[in-house]
Amino acid sequence: MNGVLGDFFGTFLRNRGAAVGLAVLALVGVAAATAGLLFPYSPWDMRGAPFMPPGEMEFLLGSDSLGRDVAAGIAYGARVSLLIGAVSTVVAVLLGITLGAVAGYAGGVVDDAIMRFTEFFQTVPSFMLAVVLVAIFSPSISSIVAAIAIVSWPPVARVIRAEFLSLRSREFVHAAEVLGRSRTAIVFRVILPNALSPIIVLASLMVASAILLESGLSFLGLGDPNLISWGFMIGAGRSVIRIAWWMSVFPGIAIFLTVLALNLVGEGLSDALNPRLARRR
Amino acid sequence: MSLLDVRNLTIALPPGAERAHAVEDVSFALEAGEILCIVGESGSGKSVSTGAIMSLLPPALRVVQGSIGFEGRDLLRLKPAEMRLLRGSRIGMIFQEPMTALNPLMRVGDQIGEVLKVHGARGSAGRVQELINAVQLPDPDRIARSYPHLLSGGQRQRVMIAMALALEPAVLIADEPTTALDVTTQMQILGLIKEIQSRRGMGVLFITHDFGVVAEIADRVAVMQHGRIVEAGAAAQVLNAPQHPYTRALIAAVPHRARALDAPPTGRPVLELVGVRKSYWRGGGLFSPRVKVPAVQDADLVLRKGETLGLVGESGSGKSTLARCVVNLVKPEEGAIRYHDTDLRRLMRRHWKPYRKRIQMVFQDPFASLNPRRRVGDIIAEGPMAHGMGRAAALRRADELLALVQLDAGAAGRFPHEFSGGQRQRIGIARALALEPELLIADEPVSALDVSVQAQILALLEDLRQRLGLTMLFITHDLRVAAQVCGRVAVMQRGVIVEQGRTAEVFAAPQHPYTRSLLESIPGRHWLPPVAQIPDQGAVD
Amino acid sequence: MGGARFAGFLVQRVIKMVVMVFAIIVANFLLVHAAPGDPASVIAGEAGAADPQFLAQLRTQFGLDQPLSTQLWLYVSHVAQGDLGVSYRQQRPVLGLILERLSATLLLTGTAFILAVIGGVTLGALAARRVGRTSDSLITVLALGLYATPIFWVGLMLVLVFSVWLDWLPSFGMNTVGADLTGAAAVLDTARYLLLPALTLGLFYMAVYARLTRAAMLEVASQDFVRTARAKGVPEGGVQRRHVLRNALLPVITVAGIQAGQLVGGSILVETVFAWPGIGRLAFDALLARDYQILLGVFLATSVLVLVFNLITDLLYAWIDPRVEMT
Repeated sequence: MNGVLGDFFGTFLRNRGAAVGLAVLALVGVAAATAGLLFPYSPWDMRGAPFMPPGEMEFLLGSDSLGRDVAAGIAYGARVSLLIGAVSTVVAVLLGITLGAVAGYAGGVVDDAIMRFTEFFQTVPSFMLAVVLVAIFSPSISSIVAAIAIVSWPPVARVIRAEFLSLRSREFVHAAEVLGRSRTAIVFRVILPNALSPIIVLASLMVASAILLESGLSFLGLGDPNLISWGFMIGAGRSVIRIAWWMSVFPGIAIFLTVLALNLVGEGLSDALNPRLARRR
Repeated sequence: MSLLDVRNLTIALPPGAERAHAVEDVSFALEAGEILCIVGESGSGKSVSTGAIMSLLPPALRVVQGSIGFEGRDLLRLKPAEMRLLRGSRIGMIFQEPMTALNPLMRVGDQIGEVLKVHGARGSAGRVQELINAVQLPDPDRIARSYPHLLSGGQRQRVMIAMALALEPAVLIADEPTTALDVTTQMQILGLIKEIQSRRGMGVLFITHDFGVVAEIADRVAVMQHGRIVEAGAAAQVLNAPQHPYTRALIAAVPHRARALDAPPTGRPVLELVGVRKSYWRGGGLFSPRVKVPAVQDADLVLRKGETLGLVGESGSGKSTLARCVVNLVKPEEGAIRYHDTDLRRLMRRHWKPYRKRIQMVFQDPFASLNPRRRVGDIIAEGPMAHGMGRAAALRRADELLALVQLDAGAAGRFPHEFSGGQRQRIGIARALALEPELLIADEPVSALDVSVQAQILALLEDLRQRLGLTMLFITHDLRVAAQVCGRVAVMQRGVIVEQGRTAEVFAAPQHPYTRSLLESIPGRHWLPPVAQIPDQGAVD
Repeated sequence: MGGARFAGFLVQRVIKMVVMVFAIIVANFLLVHAAPGDPASVIAGEAGAADPQFLAQLRTQFGLDQPLSTQLWLYVSHVAQGDLGVSYRQQRPVLGLILERLSATLLLTGTAFILAVIGGVTLGALAARRVGRTSDSLITVLALGLYATPIFWVGLMLVLVFSVWLDWLPSFGMNTVGADLTGAAAVLDTARYLLLPALTLGLFYMAVYARLTRAAMLEVASQDFVRTARAKGVPEGGVQRRHVLRNALLPVITVAGIQAGQLVGGSILVETVFAWPGIGRLAFDALLARDYQILLGVFLATSVLVLVFNLITDLLYAWIDPRVEMT
């Protein structure tokens, strides 16, 4: 497997965008991990005078309406974003793969039923559904993760189903059937490994949109009240934007950089995985 | 003066390709009123040469040197705007895949009219219908108003010809226009091209890989290998007295040996199909009824021990469906499929396992029939392991089989994408033989391969058949292949077996009109490849 | 295509729409009952839950002591008659509140959509034509960047630049309060207020359509029929317009349909930032006040909007692509 993996990383890293994206993500990860070291206090602590512009009185990025350190908020907020982004994506992907695989392999009525179910979730405006879910079940990190997962799984199911449908009629799958392999072996050991590469790309893009979703929710005040997050900080800075622009600008830049990095990595993955597929021919 | 004069054409490939040049120092001339066939296998550079004439090469390919003389000018030195004026009006071109060659969102009549309009000619509806008539399409008005997806492959190719010839160009370039068509349709299109060419005195540059087509229509031939022309001359000369070793090898690879008349098979029947029927349902929705499309109707077949039965037909004949019924990939709704004394159709999926060891299949597409994520050794060992053999023993067996199909032992550790089409097909055969089957079903095993590779695989299959005592059901659309490989043959048309019998008899004296039209559609059937004129030395069947 | 088949197609789609609306109503019902706490207090909202009389009235109205199936039936029939409940805090029926503000949201999302499609397709086509060159890289980078920014932050930044620092455009509301303008002056006035919010909502989707159009055009350009067109001698402009762009628009229409849900959902964020008096703003206020009736009502309304929009895109697609079977 070494040759293939080495090939893959080579192509991936040669894509400048992807390499930059990976670097930025690493930075964000480090900030999240070392937040406690860099800012050995709670981001909710009042550390000084309110509305201090960036650069004054040890506030690297300024202070907010209650004298809290914006830079600390961004560092601790990174944890929330990455955590929620990753966990909700994992849940959504698992949900999506299960439903998509069953629909794609079983076909017929089962497929129809699952597709109608998927269509429902794709028709209702996903952000609104997330808002309704979090509002009704009270904002907390678990309700947010659940809500994001619930609105994010349909594209995964669609992609997996499409892959299954196309792979199911591929000759090497027929060959496995003719050789006498069991149905479970065919689904899990023949079809699924070949269906997963588009999911890898999709997953990185989903983490990006999960972070955007979470920031939107906390901007509206639906974030976990115990955790500081970037969207919340922007929301807090909205009404005082005329006198403290830094409260809204910097957390937004943080979101922008993280999401951009994830998108670049996703595109790099897509490019790296496709030439190998193209070389199959 | 020649109509089209290509001299010393050299086109470079981008760095990192298998060779430095796509075509190297290629020269040929096309005269008015003749058909020049350029023959070669895939990668020989034949498409690139003709692409250069029309200046339709992908940007990655650079013309390094050479000239293309046409109507007093060098096409390679023309400005893009000047070249565009020539395309479609003085030189017409048709391509290989008719199914994707037309804009799906424009009506056929509009697309034909487009070529008239962009060159300033009058694109009236009447003129368009004249053109449709000229390519022998019935009901021109309806065709003109249709969208491409409503037409068959053969019809679309005729539309392409109409578009290419609308402005009566001096030269027609045809890049494998019949390769993707059924054999009967191919014959019609070849006839159409010949008729139009002789009527208008055009020069036709016809690219193909099929020597039968060359025998059918060519006046002159040029053979290409690895980007160079290795032999050229009058068709009769090159076909019957080839000089260059490559040309000889290619012609020798054309399947031609009719199976010697062996004694009629008297072994007990291994496989018996009685009244097998399989239909598909199409359409269906809230407002229209579902239509039943019969893929196989009342198929009756007997296959005896040790023989090779050919199942022959064009696309849509049901031959592949029938093969899939035998291995339970597809469930027929009626009939009996008796393997020795067991009716396979009545078996539930879980009872099939022991029969998997006795009946195996080799598939058509070497690029899609191997799991791209497994190593070759694992692919071959998959079968025995699924039936209880231990991994180490199975891998040893895989090594033995690789040797049997003449691949080196190191192949077991590599992935499918590292092998060529012919090699992958050998791997597929090894995989099928891993379970030591009695009955081998070969579903168009050589259709996707180059002619020279085809011959090797067919020789391999024959060798294995004799050594292992296999019984084979051989599916193919290529009558020449069937003639070489099969002792008995069954001809299918639209789901029905219209005729079956000993190959030599069916081919010599076909009873059913469809069989007759099939045989008449073999391109170059009157040409006997020179090797066949020498009495057989060696293998007697 | 034939008129009769088209009508059949339309009827079939409308039936599917109705079924979907029904499913959403049922989902709303399930949400109310799945929420923690007493369903009556969920329906009543924070303000209403303090009033025991109101709670009792709700209990009888929704049959909350009866079996679930009866409750479902009551709920669905209420909604079918246009009764989406009453907001205790505002003392008005929810449906009325929504209808009042619907036009503002339609204006906003409609303008944003048109901006996004025209801008996106133009830029994407341009990038595809000049693939690999500087203009392509610029457009791709711009699209990538816009795609990565949260909509509400873009809105705030636009307010910061154009309203706070430059003072060119207003930052909240839909028209100048107390000005009482009519006719052309009123339209112009609203346009000034509409510009920033529409831009905010539209920029994100413009990036989506630009990337999509670029990818679609590059993919179509490599297909066989484009080569056929060139071989016929069609000039490059004609090839791009009649052959490439036409076919590339098909996936754009499909994605536009899928994105509709996101576009409408995004309006809640934009209306909040700009205090735009639409149903998104209504939902935000309802959030603050824990007024779930309004929230669920807005959810239903936005879903219906999306369904209607999907219907239009489906019809458009079927009209353009003759291969779609009208069954």
